[in-house]
Amino acid sequence: MRMSRGRRIALHAVAVVYVLVLTLPLAIVLLNSLRTEGEIIRSPLALPRPATSANFSEIFRDSTFGVNLKNSFIVAGITVCLTIAVTAPAGYAMSRFRFRGKSLFSTWLLATQAFPGIVMVLGLFTIFSTYGLINTRIGLVVMHTSFSLPFSIWLLKGYFDRIPSALEEAAMIDGCNRARALLRVILPLAVPGLLAVGTFSFLLSWNEFFFALIVTRDEMLFTLPVFLSRFLGMGGIVRWGPLSAAALLATLPALILFMIGQRYLVSGLTGGAVK
Amino acid sequence: MAQMMARGFREERRALPFLLPTLLIMGAINLYPFINGLLRSLHSYRILSQSYTFTGLSNFRMLLHDELFLKAFANSATWVAASVSCQFVLAGVLALVLNSRELIGRRVFRTLVLIPWATPPVVVALTWRYFLADQGPLNLFLRALGIANPPSWLLDPNVALWSCIMANVWMNIPFMTVMLLAGLQSVERSMYEAAAIDGAGFFQATVRITMPAMKKVILIVITLMSIWTFNMFDIVYVLTRGGPGNASLTLPLFAYQNAFFYYQLGYAAAVGMVIMACLLLLIFFYIRQVLE
Repeated sequence: MRMSRGRRIALHAVAVVYVLVLTLPLAIVLLNSLRTEGEIIRSPLALPRPATSANFSEIFRDSTFGVNLKNSFIVAGITVCLTIAVTAPAGYAMSRFRFRGKSLFSTWLLATQAFPGIVMVLGLFTIFSTYGLINTRIGLVVMHTSFSLPFSIWLLKGYFDRIPSALEEAAMIDGCNRARALLRVILPLAVPGLLAVGTFSFLLSWNEFFFALIVTRDEMLFTLPVFLSRFLGMGGIVRWGPLSAAALLATLPALILFMIGQRYLVSGLTGGAVK
Repeated sequence: MAQMMARGFREERRALPFLLPTLLIMGAINLYPFINGLLRSLHSYRILSQSYTFTGLSNFRMLLHDELFLKAFANSATWVAASVSCQFVLAGVLALVLNSRELIGRRVFRTLVLIPWATPPVVVALTWRYFLADQGPLNLFLRALGIANPPSWLLDPNVALWSCIMANVWMNIPFMTVMLLAGLQSVERSMYEAAAIDGAGFFQATVRITMPAMKKVILIVITLMSIWTFNMFDIVYVLTRGGPGNASLTLPLFAYQNAFFYYQLGYAAAVGMVIMACLLLLIFFYIRQVLE
């Protein structure tokens, strides 16, 4: 059954309009990062003539952007490693063992998704002050890890469910203990799941703003979202050229990783919800 | 008896080492701060002595008479209802388009529409702030179309909240589309063929076959999205800070202001409790769908 010609044209037109609307704002950021302040104000929609890299050199020279970029990478990188190290065994236990309190545990994991940020931040602030974690990168790491755990465990459980348990039983008969069997036999088969968790936790940490805004005070410890919001707030007039350059550089790592990891992330996301 | 007990807990003892790191982190960084935060709602914070005194439910009584709280509550309701319903309609149409076999370059389209999802929310808000500025690209475009007085998107109290909603919808369309698309792909194609033989058109097939088959996905996605949207802070904070004159103040911003500008920590926690109560209803619903 084929569509009529008119309908097919309409279908493509709708798709093109969506793509334009969903990509245009970022395209404008790209344009503005390559233009001078004067050009941006005079003609918001014109092409840069000629393109300038002045905005990029300015943010690295005149602001803490470079340091904050490094912070974002460090915090997100360690969050990813920690999340995988913690959730792989937990997801495995959720998939393979039957234990008392399991449904309470999974209910708790799901419920955390809805804990209001303000309640969490008040409690976290107290704990962080007690243990000297305010204004530290390690504080950000443990916080972001705790945010990414519930979804990651749930996602990995789904992956482990699809791997037959006969595989690790065979390994255990050959003399592996369970932890070794998980490491040697199951994890290599769950690589797509681990990639999904890695992508998810990196993006979560890289993008997280509210908690980082409250727990970091020293601009040398800001991550990029906090840097960007402060940059916007400084002085009366917003300087869109340098801001766009910073915003673009803050987006690129997330965008690149997302394009690589989205296949795994999407199948992990939808695998649980659709079946 | 002792033997029975030991046997009864064998699985637990095997599972515990695998779960221990999670339990430690979640206990210390999730459950403890959560309870700690909740208990604050029953206390009042004195900034001079930096101490809490127990005040029972008085924070909640104050909330009921706080006009700004009621306004923020109403704004939050509008924010969630409008955001989620617009997202659902727009993402639903997009998912149907991307699911069509007649679409040439489906893979390219499917990748490109994901871009807002990969953009950090703060960058999304910054971009929209530029885009919606009085002399920004959108108004320039509208003037070029012959609209002499386009709205002042971020400075008009009647429009500001809707501008925030617009940016939020834009950002969340990809996630919703992906989920709905996965749902669409799980519907048996033979059902549509049978319906076509019976003479059903596209619209009828959507309402009669697609929607019922996707009921579960739709419910889960809408619940999740409502929870996330309710808690969303970044977009409104960067776009308007709740202004002009509290016109776009939502509950998370109201709580944030009370906690970190006025140091009313107990009061802010009480606002958190109200948010929690609203969300609990949604979570209850969500858990029932997921755990089934």
